[in-house]
Amino acid sequence: MTDGANILRRGGLFATGLCICFAMLCCGDVVAQQRISPEIHRAADCVVKLYGPRVGREHGYGSGVLVSADGRILTALSLLVNLQGVKVVLADGRHFEATLERADELRQLALLRIDARALPFLSPQSSSELRQGDTVVALGNWFKIADGRESISVCKGILSLRTMIDAMRLAQESELQGEVLVIDALTANPGAAGGPLLDARGRFIGLVGKVIESAATNTRINFAIPGEALVEFLQSDSASVLEPPPPQTAASGNAGRPYLGIKLSRLGYRQVSAYVQRVSPNSPAAKAGIQADDLILAVDGRRVGDVATFDEAVARLLPGQTVQVVVKRGPDVQTLSLRVEAME
Amino acid sequence: MNLLVALLLLSPLGQTQDGSVAQERLYEEATAAVVRAAVAVVSPSIVTIETVGGAQPVRRGARGAVSERFKIADGPSTGIILSEDGLIVTSSFNFVREPTVITVRLADDRRLVATLLARDHIRRLALLRVEAGDLQAATWAPREEIVLGQYALACGNGLGGPQPFVSLGIVSALGRRNGLAIQTDAKTSPINYGGALVDIDGRVLGLIVPMAGSGGGALAGVDWYDSGIGFAIPRDRIDEVLDRLRRGEDIEPGKIGIVLGPQEPGLLDDILDELLPQSRGARITAVGDPSPAKSAGLEPEDLIVALDARPISDLEALLRELSDRAAGERVTLTVKRRWRRFERTITLAKSSEIGPVKTAAESPPPQTDEADPAEKEENGEENERPPTTQPNSN
Repeated sequence: MTDGANILRRGGLFATGLCICFAMLCCGDVVAQQRISPEIHRAADCVVKLYGPRVGREHGYGSGVLVSADGRILTALSLLVNLQGVKVVLADGRHFEATLERADELRQLALLRIDARALPFLSPQSSSELRQGDTVVALGNWFKIADGRESISVCKGILSLRTMIDAMRLAQESELQGEVLVIDALTANPGAAGGPLLDARGRFIGLVGKVIESAATNTRINFAIPGEALVEFLQSDSASVLEPPPPQTAASGNAGRPYLGIKLSRLGYRQVSAYVQRVSPNSPAAKAGIQADDLILAVDGRRVGDVATFDEAVARLLPGQTVQVVVKRGPDVQTLSLRVEAME
Repeated sequence: MNLLVALLLLSPLGQTQDGSVAQERLYEEATAAVVRAAVAVVSPSIVTIETVGGAQPVRRGARGAVSERFKIADGPSTGIILSEDGLIVTSSFNFVREPTVITVRLADDRRLVATLLARDHIRRLALLRVEAGDLQAATWAPREEIVLGQYALACGNGLGGPQPFVSLGIVSALGRRNGLAIQTDAKTSPINYGGALVDIDGRVLGLIVPMAGSGGGALAGVDWYDSGIGFAIPRDRIDEVLDRLRRGEDIEPGKIGIVLGPQEPGLLDDILDELLPQSRGARITAVGDPSPAKSAGLEPEDLIVALDARPISDLEALLRELSDRAAGERVTLTVKRRWRRFERTITLAKSSEIGPVKTAAESPPPQTDEADPAEKEENGEENERPPTTQPNSN
């Protein structure tokens, strides 16, 4: 702790800055170029600009990364790539028309193809070594500010945390599953989606996601899809467009609907707190120790805000599963273990 | 350690590309180590607050109910442990939905029910109590040790974990909002309102709150999230209201009960202004009834020229000075009425205690007195009107 702290202690930054200024004064352009690491230059050559028609509130432009010498481009899934005739502009200024090779709704990824050979490319790598605080660099054509051969933009930040996000897009629930890399750099801007995220050594360890809002905060989240998900997506060699697997809910049938034996007080409003009105005798809830007047706070790790979110959380349960139910009873919060049964 | 410093300092002298890259690598590694260490120090002292119930607030505007532009979510938020016997300080922003149940999740995953003791609507603080005796209180940096430009990390649990969200920046200004807040360029948002802005040793520099330039409603300042302009309340400014909050006393902005307008300059004023530079002030255009102003005998067309003996140059200056005063505080106004100057000491009132205004004949139609100066803009009704021509209430 103290090692790093001492370097950065007051004046540390100033000293570093002074060194850099001094160095730049001494050697002019040469040193100035050294400040931008060669890895970023190499990566920038593999970033492409995407253009398409503007649809509704979707911006008609974005970024992408060349992932093979023969013209495969990895980008974030959006309306843009689902449309015919996405225009791709390479770092050297050449134009191509791309076709959609495949897409993954759950990870919000898309693979495009252009007819070209001998292109520079990046290979995604696992981000598992990346820890909180580590430097990351994001590249992309934010606000389509770069045109033709103009170089795309670069920004630098740190890894803020790895987490799952309940995503919203334009006030609608959005599919985005699995862990993402939340980054401390402003990437939630039009055009940034689909650009690469590099680590301090210039490794391609994430793909900047499209602008979404977190349902937990209603704020835009700066994030990237982690490299391991990119690797998996590129390796899954299906020729067709992937459909999301059917959700494991009551609707999918054969496993039976989940039965808990909890009746909530419903006063005619959807947004009413999830107070237990009655627990059926010998039901899973009764065995778990849930009582009338308990307030349900969470089911299976999903926070329950009201009756509607309780219903959603229950719909995801599978008979036979043992889940944790967090309840408030009087002044106490209790975590109870409940074994889900099938509805008869 | 010494080797690292030596490398940092010496590498520019031996101008090799490797040296430059190595230096940058070193800096990045030091940064990462510092971020992780600081987060590790503060983490046991920050809690995740979860709420049940409540709804999006509606604001009472001049033309009836207005829904807020920012839709506030009901996700988790953050608080800082203030004492081992269960006091937790957080931001009042986290309770604008008026939730019915508040629970707190500690770093060790224990969940406790919390009681909201009171809120400070000026500092945007809230004080919670949980029944516990073994909490790990955060260590705070004394304000005199906080310096402009030092590193600052904004930590918060609004994304739910497993680790806190962290954003790295610096202290970008001291003494904002009449000295109530320090400013940072680290990213602040509902993710970390109520959370901790910490130094590289994990000591808390301040409690992160949303704040606008001045005044504003319950959600003021949230529009500036992630903008590089964030605010945190240092410990001494929390301590000065802590006893009141602990007793369950809400702290609300104090109002005089007047509507202010700019002084209309005439030839005589221009001449006077030349002769007596402090002759200008803030002109009262209307007085609420009842209100502290009414009780003190203030009238429309009176000019407020000083507050607590400090000269007031114009109405912005007065609004700025008054924006952070609490109801119950006493202020002394120096008032000019035609050729007479006199002083009145008044006790500021809550906006709910102030009655409708009586306007002077030439003034615009009456407005509710508790209307914030910023309200019209926030309602989106009148955006382009320069503030100096807008009647202002306080």
